Amino acid sequence: MDVSDLRKNAKLEIDGQPYVVVEFQFVKPGKGQGLYKCKIKNMITGSVLDRTWRSGEKLEAANVESRKMQFLYATGEGFTFMDSGTYEQVELREDIVGDDKNYLLDNLECDILFYNDRPVGLSMPSHVVMEVTEAEPGVKGDTATGVTKNAWVSTGYQIAVPLFIKVGEKVKIDTRTGAYVERVNE
Amino acid sequence: MTAKRPPGLPWPARVALWDRALGAVRDRLRAAGMREVSTPVRVAAVAIEPFIEPLTAPPGYLATSPELAMKRLLCRGSGSIFQISHVFRAAELGDRHAEEFHLVEWYRVDDELAAARADVEALVDVVLAAAGRPAVSWSTFAILDVVAATLGRELRGDEDAEALVRVAASVDLELRDPGLAARDPDVRRLAAWTAFFSEWSDRDLDPWLRDRGGGVHLCDFPPALAALAEVRDVGGARLAARFESYVDGVELANGYQELRDPAEQAARFAAVSGLRDAHQLPALPIDERFLGDLRGFGLPRCAGVALGLDRLLMIAAAAERLSDISLALGSPGR
Repeated sequence: MDVSDLRKNAKLEIDGQPYVVVEFQFVKPGKGQGLYKCKIKNMITGSVLDRTWRSGEKLEAANVESRKMQFLYATGEGFTFMDSGTYEQVELREDIVGDDKNYLLDNLECDILFYNDRPVGLSMPSHVVMEVTEAEPGVKGDTATGVTKNAWVSTGYQIAVPLFIKVGEKVKIDTRTGAYVERVNE
Repeated sequence: MTAKRPPGLPWPARVALWDRALGAVRDRLRAAGMREVSTPVRVAAVAIEPFIEPLTAPPGYLATSPELAMKRLLCRGSGSIFQISHVFRAAELGDRHAEEFHLVEWYRVDDELAAARADVEALVDVVLAAAGRPAVSWSTFAILDVVAATLGRELRGDEDAEALVRVAASVDLELRDPGLAARDPDVRRLAAWTAFFSEWSDRDLDPWLRDRGGGVHLCDFPPALAALAEVRDVGGARLAARFESYVDGVELANGYQELRDPAEQAARFAAVSGLRDAHQLPALPIDERFLGDLRGFGLPRCAGVALGLDRLLMIAAAAERLSDISLALGSPGR
C-alpha cells in the first residue's frame, strides 16, 4: 500500500509485526513533501510508537482479520474459543489474554484477532455482567457515599463494590478499567 | 476511547463567516484595481509540482491551482486580475488539508512583490475583521536568516545537492530522496532543497513560527525553491523573489515576482518532471500552451499570490481544523 492510504485504524506490517494506526496527522510544509505522522500500536504486544512516513513511501498492509468467537474453557496454559458458525476452535496463550481472563465467562462472545491466520489477540466487549459469588458484609449504618467493600465474581476476580451489593446479585464491570459500574437488576 | 471531537462552528455561523469573508476579499481586491475572473476547473495540464497530485477528470485533470490559466489571460492583456477558485489536490487529508479547497489568487500587473505582500496583510485584516477578530502584526524575514537562527548554519542558497546533504547531516536532518541519485544536477538540487525545506519546516520552522505567533513573511528563497518566481541578485546573492506568509504558524499564502523567461520556465518544469520521475510518481503533461503564450505574447511584469481561504477562515474563527469551518456536507473525500 501507498502512504497516501494511511488512515486511522489502518493495519500495517512492520518487521514482521502487525500494527494498527491509532493516531494520524498529515502535514505538508510549503511546496514540500507530505509527512504522515502516525502513532502506531503493535497489535500483539500493545506497545505504541511514533512513526513518520514521507509521501511516495510504500508500506506493507498487515493481513489481519477479526472474528467473533465464544469462550469455551481454560486449560491451564491457555484459553479455548470457538467460532459458533464453523465450530472451529483456537487456543489463545495466557500472556495474550492477560487480565482479560478476569472477565472470561463461559460462552462470552469476544473478537479474536488473527494475523496471518494465527490468533494473536482478543478484544473484549466494553462491559460484562457477572454474578457476585462472595462479598464482605456491609457495615450497617455506614451511609457515606463512595465507601466500598471487596467482592468476588464467578471467575474469581476481586472487585470493589458499594456496600449494598449482596452475594447472588449481578454487577456490570467495565473491562477497560476493571471497575464496577452498576448493579444489574433482572 | 478517544474523546469525540467538538462539532466546530454551528452551521448558521459558518454560512455567515463565508458570506462576510468572500465579500470582504472581493471588495478589497476590486478596490485595489483588480478584475475578477473565473477560469475552468477542468484543465488539460496542471502546474506541475514535485509533491502535488492532481485528481484526474478525463480527458484532463481538476485544477490544482488557477495559476497557469490566469497567466495565459495576463499574457493576453487582462490587466490585474483575481479569482476565488476551487482547487483539488489528491490525498491531502488532515486537520489543515483537504482534497478540495479555495484559493484566492491574484496578479498585480507592472507591480512589485512588496505590493503583493501588502495585499496578503490587507486580506488577512479584512477577513479577521469580518469575523470580529483583531488584526495581526507582521514581520518579514529572509528564509536563510531563519535557517541560521534555528540551525546555527549559514547557507548561501546556491549549495549543490551534495553540499546541502552534508550541512543537513551536521544538524541531524536526514535527507533521503530518490531524486538525490538522479543524473541531472538540477533534479538533484531540487530534490535536496525540497527535502531540506520539508524536514526543516517540520522540525524547526513550525515550532519557531508557533512561538512567534502573529503574521510572518519568509522571503528571498534559495533558487532551487523558486517554484515559478523570478531569481534575481539580492546583495550579491542569487535568490528567488518569492515569499511565504504564515499566521500563528499556519501557512497561508505563497507569492512570486512571476518568472517570465520561457526557456527558464521550461527548464523548471523539466526539473520537476525529473524529480517526479525519480519518485516514480505518475508522469504529468507539461502545459505547452502556457509555454507557447510565454514565448508568443510574453507575460507582463507582475507579482502574484495564492492564499488558502479556508485556512484564513479557520484562523478567523479561532478554529483548529478546516472541518470546523467548512461548508462541505458529505464531500466524497476518503
